[in-house]
Formats: sequence, C-alpha cells, structure tokens
Amino acid sequence: MTFAGADDAPWRRLSIRVIWIDVAVSVLALMPGGIAVIAFDVGPSLRELWPLATVAAWGLVSAVGDAIRWACTSYRITSTDIERRTGLFVRTSRTMHRDRVRSVDTSAKLRHRWAGLRVVTVGAGQQTGVGESALVLDALSKTDAAALQELLLDAPTAHQSREDEAPAAERVAILASFDPRWVVYNMFSVWAYLMAAGLLWGAFWLLSSLGIDLFGFVAELVDWDSLGWLRATAIALAGGGVIGAIGLGVNFLLGYGNFVLARVHTHSGSYLRTRRGVLSTREVNRDESRMRGMSIGEPLLWRWMGMADTNVITTGLDVWDTEEPTAILPRGPISVARRTVAEVFGSANPLSSPLARHPRAALRRRLWWATALSWVAPFALAVPAVTGAVAAWVPWAALAVWPVALTGAFIAYRALGHGVSGDHLVVRSGLLSRTTSALRRDAVSTIAIRQSILQRRLGLCTVSAMTAAGWSAYEAPDISSRGAVAFAAQAAPGLLDDFVDGEAARDRG
Amino acid sequence: MNAADVQESSELRLRPPARRVERRAISWWMLRNAVACGVPLAALIVAMVLWEPVRAWFLMPTIALALVLVAKVAVEPRWRFGVHRWEITERATYARHGWLVVEQRVAPTTRIQTVDAVRGPLEQIFGLSTLRVTTASSYGAIAIRGLDRHTAEEAAARLAAVAELAEGDAT
Repeated sequence: MTFAGADDAPWRRLSIRVIWIDVAVSVLALMPGGIAVIAFDVGPSLRELWPLATVAAWGLVSAVGDAIRWACTSYRITSTDIERRTGLFVRTSRTMHRDRVRSVDTSAKLRHRWAGLRVVTVGAGQQTGVGESALVLDALSKTDAAALQELLLDAPTAHQSREDEAPAAERVAILASFDPRWVVYNMFSVWAYLMAAGLLWGAFWLLSSLGIDLFGFVAELVDWDSLGWLRATAIALAGGGVIGAIGLGVNFLLGYGNFVLARVHTHSGSYLRTRRGVLSTREVNRDESRMRGMSIGEPLLWRWMGMADTNVITTGLDVWDTEEPTAILPRGPISVARRTVAEVFGSANPLSSPLARHPRAALRRRLWWATALSWVAPFALAVPAVTGAVAAWVPWAALAVWPVALTGAFIAYRALGHGVSGDHLVVRSGLLSRTTSALRRDAVSTIAIRQSILQRRLGLCTVSAMTAAGWSAYEAPDISSRGAVAFAAQAAPGLLDDFVDGEAARDRG
Repeated sequence: MNAADVQESSELRLRPPARRVERRAISWWMLRNAVACGVPLAALIVAMVLWEPVRAWFLMPTIALALVLVAKVAVEPRWRFGVHRWEITERATYARHGWLVVEQRVAPTTRIQTVDAVRGPLEQIFGLSTLRVTTASSYGAIAIRGLDRHTAEEAAARLAAVAELAEGDAT
C-alpha cells in the first residue's frame, strides 16, 4: 500500500471486513435467544425472553449502526495532514496536522483479530478536560494499519529529505516480557467485589432466562438462618472475594498475556512500545522525546509482598485512562519494576539515587494533623451525645480512628524523600501509595514554595514542581525551610535567580 | 551531583516580589467572604429556628461557621493585603499569595501559554481585575488578584508580547 504524497491524495475507506464483523455480530446476537427457544424449550413469551431479546436488539442495532458508519467514513493522508470525514446525518470533518501527531496506537478486540483488523488511534497530545479526542480509525486491515503507523511515526520532519535515509531501519530491544506469576499481584484488590457482583449478576440473568434459579440454588445450599448474620456475612464476603479474585486473575491473564515492553529505535527517534493481550490486543507507542520522567508506586497494603506500579511521566497520555497507557509494566514485583526502570533510564538511573530524609518536624506536622482530624468527629458528636440524640458511647467510638491515624502519620513520614540526581528531580511521598517520581528538571514549568502557619512554626516548606506531563504537579512535602529555596533553585535551574537574595544563587550557576 | 547536596548546604532566601496589590482589594475580600460564609450560616440558623430536631446536630457547626465568618471578614482581608505581592520581569512572573498558607510561585516567561485579565462581578464593583497566567501544566497557573484593572490589562498585554518571542510549544 502506498500513501500518496501530493495534496490531492485519494480518499480511502475503512476495511470492508468491518461489514463481515457486523454480519457475524448480528448472527451471534440472535443465537442465545434461538438456542434458548429451541434447545431449552423456553416458551417464546416476551416475559421470559426479555434479557435475550435485549441482547439480540442491541446486537442488531449496533451492527447496523456500524455498517452505516463504515459507509459514511473516509480518510486520507496528505503530505501535511490527516483528514477524516464521518457521519450520516451530522457530517464531521477532522483534520490533524501530521507534525502534531504524538502517538499512533493500535488495538484489536477478538472480533477484529479474527477478521485481521486493527483499530488505529492517532493522538496529538490532547489535554484531558479540554474535550479534545484522538482521531480513531475503526478499523483498518492489519497491513494497512501497520503501514499507516510506520508512515506517521517514522515520517521525516519537513526539512529532512526521505530519500537519503535507510528504509525502515527499525531496531527493537526488549526490556521486559510477561511472567505468569504476576497474576498474584493482580488478583487482590477492592475491585474484586465489583467484579464478583458483575459476574454473579450476569450469571443470574443468563441462568434465569434458561429457567434455572441461581438465587434459590444458593439459598438451599446452606441453612443460612442457623448460621447467624455474622457468619453468613463472613461466608458471603469470602465467597464473593474468591469469585472476584479469580475473575480479576483471569481478566489479568487475558488482558496482559503476551505482554512485551520494547524500545523501538527508528530514524526519527525512539519509542517505548508495549504489546499485550491474549484475545483483545493493544499496542501503545510512547515517544521518548515526549517523556519527562518515570515513577514507581508501592501500594500500602501490599508493600510487604513488594508490589509496584510503574508509569512513565509523559505529555499527551491521559493518566485517568482506564487502560493505563502510561503504565509501561503491569502491576508486579518491585524487583522487575526497578530493573526495567534502570534499563529505560540507561546508565544514570535517578530512581536508584539516595534521597535526603525530611526533618523530624515533618513527622510532628503529620501527628498534629492526624490528631486534629481524629477529633473533628467526636467534637461534632459531643452535643448530640449530651442531649441524647445519639448514644453516649458514639463520640468515644469515633475516637478509635485516632491510633490508626497516628500510625498512618508515621508511615507517611517514613515515605518522604527528595533529591536531585543528574538531570532529574526525584521526590518520594504518599501514604496509600508510596510513589517515587523522577522528573526531568528542564520540564519544570512553574515552581511553587508553600508554607502554612504550622509549617512555619515547625520550620518546614513544601516545594512543588509543576509540569505539563503526568500528574502535572510533583511535590516534595515538608522539607526544611532553610533548604527549600536551594532545592527549588536546583529543581528549576536559573528560574529563581532574579528573585534570590545574596550571592549564593549565582555561584551555583 | 549527589542527592544529599540539596540539604541545607547554604541558606538561600527568596526576596518578596516588588509590587503590592491595590488597597481596595481589602474591601473586595471582605464583601466576598461575607457573602460566601454568610449565606450558609443564615441557612443553618433558619433551619435551627424552624426545625427543632436538628438543633442538637447543627449547634456546633453553626458556632464553628460563625467563628470562621468573623475570621474571614475581620482578619483575612488585611492579612492577605500584607502577603499578596507580585512582580513581572523579562524572564519570569513571580507572585506571593495566601494568608494561613502562603505560597510563592514563579513561572518562566518561556513557558507561558495564555495571559488573561479577568474581572468577576464583585471585582467590577471595586474596579479590580485578576491577572491569570497559565503554563502547560494544569496546576501551574498563577493568578494575581486585586490589581487595578488598567494595571492588569497593561501587564497582560506586555507579558503576551514578551511571551510570543519565545519559541517551542511550551511543554
């Protein structure tokens, strides 16, 4: 396939195989209803069949809608732009400059893979909350998608000539690949209960439309009344937890199986590429020239087993996206996270540099806050307790959070750390997720030094480095106020020079 | 460079920004806070008068809110006036704001994306304006409140002219 370079480039259509998928989806959507009627002899009345009828209707409507979308969508790549026209009643025309393209990602659900299709998402570094969206082509044939990806990511910039360059000199270095043992790190989370609820709800409806009563079956399994509510709740929680954990485990294996993180060198730059998925596949390319750093988060409850989340700090990728495009590794052991981060950073790994401890006053501030917040509820409940609106023991029970809060304060203090390592600013903090972030110093766009009254009494300051990438602000909470300006000046070299008293700033350069 | 170097090797201090905000800002802050705290306080008091069962629950919150109102009208505006300062140089925008929590912010001119002079309804009564300077970071905006509207417009125009000289997409 060739993409014409001239501006009268021809308009192209999405792959015709999209239509095949629509036909297949329609047939599949009708099948459960048909099977229920034929094989299980369920009476064809609407009262019993409505869940299956809903499935069939939804399948047909979405398939027809998809076919219309195919018929109305066309796109073309000119030498400067990507254009896409779509819509039946409301015609939309999107134009994206090729030099604004930050990422070209492909993904495929199972049905796309069977038909040899890929969904291509062209991102231009949109900011979330601005209402911008990426340009999605759903779907192209596998070869077209690969060609498009190569064309857009590899495109030489305007002043370079393509003829001089070696054709597609792509070098791939694999940095990490899937380990089935990681499933242990992904089975236990509060989401397990949501997962269990979803699974049980689905199973209940599916079975009830086939004439099997799941609820009645479980009710008869054990004599719930004789157990008492405490044990019954414990059994329900444990059962739900097990079902949910298994569900999350299977979900993880299917979603992250075949995971590979690789660094891809092309002649225009290098990308961190992840590929994952057994049934649905997803590939994300992260332009390393847009990367501003990396972070490792360690969740509190699972710190004993060394669980870690590894993310890149980069512009143009949404940190709120549920598919976690910034995560370059699935949740897994911290040893793997550290090794991978070291490989990505190369020789100088800022995340392994020693961090300065924060003054003891930072612990005192946390203890003060823990105490103050723990006393709010008892204080607010005092009058109702005295007047008898609530029982007299309630304010005292509310005070039970105090020791927990004090422990939390201590853990949060232990997590603190900050430093400057080479080109990077490194900060570590966080109670529920102790996160160590390394941010490139030349990416800092605003510096803020904050001091509350309590912090002033304790001789502390909080220094924040704002940036366009990742979570937008990276903080070093509660560093000594005597060192705060020096640290801020190092975090953003040259920025504070005009406003610093004394000679010291100029000496440092 | 070693991480440990950062610690207190020398004591640097930021000097305060050069310019104060308008004295009229004190009245603006007083009016704003009186409205913001007065409305919920009035709602609480009305609820307590009209509906007997909630009295025990609302007594403490009402007392607390009344104390907050007094602090925000009698103390906060004057305190803020002492803290709020600003300065714009060729290379950076520097502002100090807050009262219980004081924050100093510096943004380099090269990273500025937008400069606006904004006037809310209450600010218009006092002829005041807020100069809002944003960078590519969604947390990085600097808002300089309580400027005379002409000063703010002038500063916005000057800053926009300087910032346009800088190249790149400011991320």
